[in-house]
This record gives sequence, C-alpha cells and structure tokens, in this order.
Amino acid sequence: MEQFLNTFFDFQFMADHFDQVLAGFWVTIKLSLVGGFFALIWGLVLSVMRQLPGKWLAPVRGLTIAYIDALRGIPLLLVILLLSAGLATLASEGTIPREIGIPNWLGESDPFWYGIMALTLTYGAYMAEVYRAGIEAVPRGQMEAARSLGMSHGQATRYIILPQAIRKVIPPLLNDFIALMKDTALISVIGLVETVQVGSDLYSEFFNPSGYTVGAFLFLIVTIPLARVVDMQIKKQDEKFQRGIP
Amino acid sequence: MSETDQNFMEKTDYAGPILKVTDLQKSYGKLDVLTGIDFELQKGELVCVIGPSGSGKSTLLRCFNMLEKPDGGTIELNGHEIFGAGKTRDLDLLRREVGMVFQQFNLFPHMTAEGNVSIAQRKVRNRRGAACRDRSVEMLNKVGLDDKIEEYPDRLSGGQQQRVAIARALAMDPEIMLFDEVTSALDPELVKGVLDVMRNLAEGGMTMVCVTHEMNFAREVADRVIFMDGGVIVEEGKPDDVLGNPQQERTKQFLGLVLAH
Repeated sequence: MEQFLNTFFDFQFMADHFDQVLAGFWVTIKLSLVGGFFALIWGLVLSVMRQLPGKWLAPVRGLTIAYIDALRGIPLLLVILLLSAGLATLASEGTIPREIGIPNWLGESDPFWYGIMALTLTYGAYMAEVYRAGIEAVPRGQMEAARSLGMSHGQATRYIILPQAIRKVIPPLLNDFIALMKDTALISVIGLVETVQVGSDLYSEFFNPSGYTVGAFLFLIVTIPLARVVDMQIKKQDEKFQRGIP
Repeated sequence: MSETDQNFMEKTDYAGPILKVTDLQKSYGKLDVLTGIDFELQKGELVCVIGPSGSGKSTLLRCFNMLEKPDGGTIELNGHEIFGAGKTRDLDLLRREVGMVFQQFNLFPHMTAEGNVSIAQRKVRNRRGAACRDRSVEMLNKVGLDDKIEEYPDRLSGGQQQRVAIARALAMDPEIMLFDEVTSALDPELVKGVLDVMRNLAEGGMTMVCVTHEMNFAREVADRVIFMDGGVIVEEGKPDDVLGNPQQERTKQFLGLVLAH
C-alpha cells in the first residue's frame, strides 16, 4: 500500500512540479475552449445545411451527410495525424502558403492549431448530429405555422426552430464538450505540450508517474462539475416536460 | 419575377373569385387524397367544409396556401396563378395574403403572446417598434386577450392559445383566413370563445374557409357549406339546404352520424 501511494501520490514530487502540470493544463483549457467554440459553430452550420429544403439543394444535403458520416467514423487521432502531416507537407512543397500550412497564429504553435482544426472537424460532425436531433424534436407544426405567416425557410429556422432546438440540446452538447476536453490529450502525439504530455515528460525524466496523477485531478476538477451541470439541466427539462411545456 | 408577381393582391380591375381552384389533384404515394376539386371563393364569403375524417378537407385547405404541394390542377389567387402549368411563384409572398389557424394552435412556445403576434410582422412585413407592438396589442384586444399580452403559451388555456393564433394570423392583414378544425383540440367549454372570435371576424367581412365539425357554427355563419368525401366535393350549397335537406346519400349518412348524438 505504501509502495502504491509512493508511486502515484508522491506529494513532494507533486508539489515540486505542480507549476509545470498546471501550465500544461492551461494549454488543455485553451484547446478545449477554442476547439469547443469552433466545433459548436461548425456543427450548427452543418446541421442547418443538412436540413436545407428543395430538390436543388439535394447535393448540399448529400455532401453534408457524407462529411458527417466520414468524420464520425474516423478516429480523432488519425484526423490529427492526417492534418498535421498533410498540411505541413503541402506547405513545405509550396502547394499552399506557409502561414496556412504551418500556422502560428496569435502566438500559438502549429501543433496547437492542427489540434484546433482536428477538434473542430470531428466534434463539429458529432455536434451536428446533436443539433439535428434537437431540430427534429421541434414539432412539425412550428415550421408550418412560421411558413404560413410568410416567413422564409431561413427566417423560420433562425427565429422559430433553432431557439427551441438549441434549448433542448444544451445538455448533450455539454456532454460532447466534456468528451472533447478529454480528447485534447490526443494532440500530444504531434508534440503539443499539454497536461498529458507534461506528465509523460516528467515520467521520462524522473521515472515518477505522480505528474500524471496531478493531471488526472486537474481534469476531474473541471469535468465533474460540468457533468453535474448537465444533470441539473436534464432534470430541469424533465420537470418542464412533465408540466407539459414543449 | 414580373411586376404582377410582386403583390398577389394588386389587380384593381379584377372582379373574379379571390381564390379559384380547378381540377386539383393530390396523392400521398398510392393514396389519392384529392381527386379533382373545383372550387371558387368570392371576396367576403365564408365557406365551411365538412366531411368525415380522411375525406381530404384538411389537405384541400393546406393546398390553398401551398403547405401541401398539389400534384395537378391549378390554383389562382386574385387572378394570379400560384400553382399550375406556369412557373412556381414566390410562396412566401403568397402566404402573407393567406392566414392560417391550425388544430394544434402551433404557437411559438419561446415567445410571449405579443411576441407570437409580432415576429412575422417584423420579419415579413418589416413593421418596426411601436407600430408593430401597437398592431399586436390591437389584435390581441380583438380576440379578448388584452390581459395576456406578456404571457407565454404554456400559461394560457387551449382556447386562449387558439385565440392568440388567430390574432397572429390577422396581424399580417391577410385577404383570406383558413381555419383547420380549430376547435377540435379544445375542451368543450373553451370552444365558444374561439367560435365567437370567428363570428366577429365573419361579421367584419373577412373572407374565410373553415374546415369544421361545428355544425351549428356552419349553419349560423356560413354563406356556403361544402360536403367532401373520398377526395371530391359531394355536395355544396346554402347551409340550410346542405345541412337541413341534403340531396346526396353520402351527405345524409354523414349528417345522420354527426347530428344524432
């Protein structure tokens, strides 16, 4: 037991290297917030494109569905590797501008931005499906009522359907955000020093895994309260539902 | 888009029916719902459509504002063809002129009564600020809900919700109002309030088509009653004739069933 505690909970080691892990966790937070923000928007765009009306827009709908299917079916790790290797190669060959192929925007490193792109592309697809469920849960009569008043499909979507749909999907979107936050750890494979990579570096240098433990706790400090928020939101919606409010 | 398409109601020398339907066809897959409907509506007229469920009466009503796209035939609004051989017109423009009230109310649950009545005025009619709000309050007044302006739909009874829905459609200044079994989802004691609003509208000269099961309402208020069955108009005429002295066997059977209880 003591051996176990010394291995995973070496408090002296934790205290000595807490700053490093915390710096890594700050990168994780930035990745989550920026990636989550773009994924939320990209997912909404995808879900609206998927619902566009009329036979002329069938190709748009088809392409959107194909995109969502593909990105939901490919491991995020693979997307990260593909993006970073692909863009870097294209940039070094001169096919695309260097500022785009090896981005260093706003003082962040290129692995950071590859990570943001991969999170946006993959989680945008996940979130598009969540939004779609929300849109489809809005009764058909809402769209009909809006159209019968002379609103266009776009106006009805913007002012009538989406405000109702988004309220319904806040809990599942938060769940996706928690998953996204944990998946930022995958970006360490292309050399980004975030929480997990800091733990690995400490382990390599000192043969002590307590750095990982600190990282795990830092994750839990954020993810457990978020999960509670999700539960509360769902409970609130259930109560509303039982009172018969759509 | 030619100039006449800009406004379906601009045609000053036109004196024909405000709505004219010829040989209208509609089917869902193999199920034929409308099999050749001819129908004319004069300005200021109130027509009640009755018939058994599945007779196609709601589908016919929903074709009038193109919520359902017909498979054949023609529809003319104020002399403009809105469905037929020619190109499809801008349906959003058409629908401004044709208000509709639904069986299930379909109020927007995330908006107050006033918000429900205002939203399309703002986005479609470009009415702003006080002009829009005043109009909404005026319409809610008209349906007797001046004390519910800031209430959300879930705080209103079914009858109140339905009256908000009527105000919402009226606020767009439609030329025609379509009512699709608007009292069928209401508790019996709430039906009268909604019917009274419709009576007032009719007395004000509004052109109306009402799909309804309220035979007394049809008898008292309608200028004309249409009995539909199996996707066709079986019988039509003055309310007293169709309801009091039906000529067709199917009409007699139907009325025997609904008036008996």
